[in-house]
Amino acid sequence: MPIVETSSLRKVFRSIQRDPGLGGAFRALFSREYDETVAVDDVSFVLEPGELVGYIGPNGAGKSTTIKMLTGILVPTSGLVRVAGIEPHKHRQQNAQNIGVVFGQRSQLYWDLPLRESFALLRSIYDIPRNRFDANLAAFSELLDLDEFMSTPVRQLSLGERMRGDFAAALLHEPPVVYLDEPTIGLDIVAKEAIREFIAAMSRERGTTVILTTHDLADVERLCSRIVLIDDGRVIYDGPLAALRERYGTHRTLIVHLAESCEDLTVDDAEIVKREPMTVHYRFDRRRISAEALVRRVTEKCSLADIAITEPDIENIVRGIYTAGYA
Amino acid sequence: MTRIRWGAYLAFAKQAMAREATYRFDVFTNIGSVLVRLYLLRTVWVALYSQNAAPVGLPLHAILTYSAVALLFGLVMDIDQTHALYERLHDGSIASDFLKPISVPFFYFADGTGEVVFHALLILPALALALLVVHIDVPTAATCAVFALSALLGYTIGFLLNFVLNCSAFWTLEISAVQMIVTWLTGILGGELIPLTLFPPWLRSIVDVLPFASIFSTPLSIYVGTIAPDAYARALGVQTLWALGFGLIATVAWRTGVRRIVVQGG
Repeated sequence: MPIVETSSLRKVFRSIQRDPGLGGAFRALFSREYDETVAVDDVSFVLEPGELVGYIGPNGAGKSTTIKMLTGILVPTSGLVRVAGIEPHKHRQQNAQNIGVVFGQRSQLYWDLPLRESFALLRSIYDIPRNRFDANLAAFSELLDLDEFMSTPVRQLSLGERMRGDFAAALLHEPPVVYLDEPTIGLDIVAKEAIREFIAAMSRERGTTVILTTHDLADVERLCSRIVLIDDGRVIYDGPLAALRERYGTHRTLIVHLAESCEDLTVDDAEIVKREPMTVHYRFDRRRISAEALVRRVTEKCSLADIAITEPDIENIVRGIYTAGYA
Repeated sequence: MTRIRWGAYLAFAKQAMAREATYRFDVFTNIGSVLVRLYLLRTVWVALYSQNAAPVGLPLHAILTYSAVALLFGLVMDIDQTHALYERLHDGSIASDFLKPISVPFFYFADGTGEVVFHALLILPALALALLVVHIDVPTAATCAVFALSALLGYTIGFLLNFVLNCSAFWTLEISAVQMIVTWLTGILGGELIPLTLFPPWLRSIVDVLPFASIFSTPLSIYVGTIAPDAYARALGVQTLWALGFGLIATVAWRTGVRRIVVQGG
């Protein structure tokens, strides 16, 4: 049974059309013409319990709007959304008990309170049994190293500390579904790794279903076996990360270091993307020419000191799809 | 229907009290200023009464009692119990309130009430001092009970009025000017500063159809006896009607405001 389900989900924002100026403002009072913005056009996906899915797309693609509909704070214009058997916007409070949310850009902790008291308040809000609360808090404190700043007011925490606190706060009530909206934004490499480690552990040990929205594709590569890619409010890819790489990551780069300077470097089936006096980067499609054949063609023209071949990273693949569109 | 989590709202109220306790380190200055204001009020009314004939039904000891009780009652009533709504709309943290399994307006109510209860407790020492500075009449236990009920209704109306005002933050983020005017109107037309019985008849007839009197004047008049026991039922009835009316307006304002952010996003 799927735990998160959206089907032909659509969200259109309407605002009353307004001509500029005072006259326009006045006419708008009586006008019933609306400007429509389609934020989410047609999004369908199904998540099984325990999946850890990367939900990615460029800015304005409709990621946040989808997440807001999954939390129940936005009402869909049409289509179906169901989380743990509930339609979130119809049963916001009941749905809230089933989900945990972490926003990288905005803390959900109580600003004036020490972390410890924020957690105590959350225990009351979610009505968490004392023994579960104590056990979870102990586990999170250890995994996230919370002890050293447990008594510090949230306003005084560093970004990394605050994020660790936010993760604990979002998971204390053991939600089966968790939405993470850019949870590693602005963090240094060590803090990022700590957060990724924690997400992986939650997924592995507790079977938590996770939807991860991020622009840091290293997060996705490290954590997600499946990605849902959206653009212009539509799902343009849904499947394993490996298949995306296989399908779109057909271009590799051959880097050659010349032994002596060489004028004519052009070869068939490869494009020079970067040229320095003694180093040349060739971009080639591995379906059209093998690396070995390409090296042979280059050596026919110039003598080489060294070569290297780089695999495409997911970031380049996704950038390619964003700019070129899904074919 | 979800179960109401009383524990959560109680926790919010306690939290608000703790917050007030840490921020309001000027507790003692407050008590000092109450003392000075009481003394000034007494001086003014004593001087006025010695120059003029006492109005019917309001001898000097009654007006001193009225002013002192009004001042203490005002310490609680003048708190904007629902400013959390405005603040959380302003900084956007209202979104995270909606992500919790709680009723959001009840959260603000609990928070505001915790704050008010804290200030009400602070009034106790001020009340003791008031008894020393000015003589305060203490009515019968029965009248005190009706006063308490009426004061509670007044508090409810005040709360709902503030809630409606703060709801306007859904549409405009600048509400402090309107709020100041309303506070000022409540002070004058509600009888916080001067008992309404001293108003000229024409002004009195306007004030009687406005809600402000139900917030201050009604409980205070019950306390000092200008509302006699045979008029209690009517007075409490009017207060109840205002409370229900504002309850309705508050519900509509809240729902429309929430629809604006929930349906439209933002």
